[in-house]
Amino acid sequence: MGQTTEDGFLQLEGVTKRYGDFEAVRSLNLLVGKGELVAFLGPSGCGKTTTLRMIAGLATPTAGRILVGGRDVTVLPVHQRDMGLVFQSYALFPHMTVERNVAFGLETRKLPRDEIRQRVGRALAMVRLGHLAGRRPRELSGGQQQRVALARALVIEPSILLLDEPLSNLDAKLRDEMRGQIRQIQQELGITTVFVTHDQVEALSMCDRIVVMRGGRVEQVGSPFEIYERPANQFVASFVGRINRLSGSRTGDGAIAVRGQRILGSPEIAAGEVDVMVRPHRIRIEWNGTGRVHQDGTNAVLGRLVRTTFVGDVVQFHIAVGEDELLVEQPTTGRPDLPEPGTPACLNWRIEDTLVFPKEQAR
Amino acid sequence: MTAAALSAPGRTRPGGRRAGLAVALLLPIALVNAVAFLAPVLNLARMSFNEALPGGGIGDAFTFENWIGLLRDPFYVELIVNSIGINLFITLLTLVLSYPIALYLHRTTGRWRSFLTVLVISPLLTSAVVRTYGWIAILSDSGPVAQAIAALGFVPPRLMFNTTGVVIGLTEILMPYMILSLLAGFGRLDPRVEEAARTLGATPFVTFRRVVLPLTLPGIALGCLLCFVLAISSFITPRLMGGGRVFLLATEIYDQAIVTLNWPLAATLSMLVLLIFGAALAAYSRVLKAVE
Repeated sequence: MGQTTEDGFLQLEGVTKRYGDFEAVRSLNLLVGKGELVAFLGPSGCGKTTTLRMIAGLATPTAGRILVGGRDVTVLPVHQRDMGLVFQSYALFPHMTVERNVAFGLETRKLPRDEIRQRVGRALAMVRLGHLAGRRPRELSGGQQQRVALARALVIEPSILLLDEPLSNLDAKLRDEMRGQIRQIQQELGITTVFVTHDQVEALSMCDRIVVMRGGRVEQVGSPFEIYERPANQFVASFVGRINRLSGSRTGDGAIAVRGQRILGSPEIAAGEVDVMVRPHRIRIEWNGTGRVHQDGTNAVLGRLVRTTFVGDVVQFHIAVGEDELLVEQPTTGRPDLPEPGTPACLNWRIEDTLVFPKEQAR
Repeated sequence: MTAAALSAPGRTRPGGRRAGLAVALLLPIALVNAVAFLAPVLNLARMSFNEALPGGGIGDAFTFENWIGLLRDPFYVELIVNSIGINLFITLLTLVLSYPIALYLHRTTGRWRSFLTVLVISPLLTSAVVRTYGWIAILSDSGPVAQAIAALGFVPPRLMFNTTGVVIGLTEILMPYMILSLLAGFGRLDPRVEEAARTLGATPFVTFRRVVLPLTLPGIALGCLLCFVLAISSFITPRLMGGGRVFLLATEIYDQAIVTLNWPLAATLSMLVLLIFGAALAAYSRVLKAVE
């Protein structure tokens, strides 16, 4: 499996999966480089898990090809694919000890007993579970089971590691910890990894690249930075991170009219109705400000405070701009001087932070 | 009589001391069981140590004669061995035929599953007597099976009034019980676990042997226990399908009690069946313990 083609270790070419009339995945193309960690990110039912199952061989594509290291594996049976899969439910063998669970994939490969023992020992040490080798899965906590599942998938030194929402059954604190651990192990082993998640924080913080999916289609492929800062459309912008949306229309001079106010944004969008989007924490507020005049490179919009939500780390201001409501987020300062509802506010943000998209057609 | 031995909650032994309510609730069923089950069984046990008098009489004297005579008589030894052997074979055959059906049912979902489950259970709505006569019609020398074999140019084997007939009839009658028991025991079988085995390089066969089979063992044990007990205590089907030529424990007990009027011998044979049940139950709990 050593050969790495220039254009990707794992290749998906026009991969499609139909169940009757329902198209779960529609003509998906993707190249994943060797050692890369790629996330499939999207809401439930977007086809991300189906795609993962097709890569693993648990589902057969209706059309298209899947290649690993240049070799077509589209119809190769699951057990010959040499991939490690970690299930959302972990799917440990309940009738086997931790050690036997991890050894399973090596036993099916008929390796010598000594080598199996050594590799199982190393894999369990890697996930820091050596002391629990003799336990049954039901005697372990969720986090421990998750690590056994990871060790079981990694011990066979798979060509590709597939993770299906591996952290979604863990509590928040453990999830943070496991995120770091998985990324660290993945980088140490340099193993090509596909990670399915609906959690944008997971995708942004762990992965080299993100594939944002919706309704069986790829909406955007890019680095976490690109996905967050240069979203391809309204869906990506609002699914990854929080964002405000304002309806506006192009005016003759290239600016955009929003609720009677004039703002500037990326000029390449054609005339007509547009959506203007801006992230809550990129907006600064000037209370009681008039701010009519645009400072260089800044947009200014007038509004009025509707209500305030104190979240601890940040405080959220809901500000009415005409009939729209904008969310503005600021770090808390420790001073108790939050303005009263009704206070006029001038909202400022940089023109580069203004995302403009053609008005979204219903789809 | 015998099947009730399975579910013998006859003793009132409240688990915790806290609730007189539990005792009060258990009392009626305990009384019913004591009168209708425990007392007759004890009576039977006592009778197996009584002397059989000519003409159907029962002597009062205590004797081991029935038991010793039973184990010394080659006819009875062979009868016991045959009974256990044939019924184990029937149990095994029922398991082999039912397992794929149960596995398929377990993996089916929605309405189709409900429909198929009803289909599996529906034979239980008809009495075993009726179904046995149905088999007689099918398997008799002039029945459709024999005719089909003859039409293919072979000499049809005798399918009725011998052990073959008993095996066919009982297997079909027991299959619903086996399928339901298997399904009840398939709870731990998660399709994801099978998929995990496949991704770890296990062929379908290895996956079955190392994952599916061990995880369905509780269901297999339960089904085998139930079917073995039902098979060895069933009387009508062996009687009708065996045509009086197949000698099994249940039919022999009937003959001794009703035809020969040797009640002490019938009682001894009944107690023997109860002992066999005990052994089956012990084997079952050992399997369960091994699975845990």
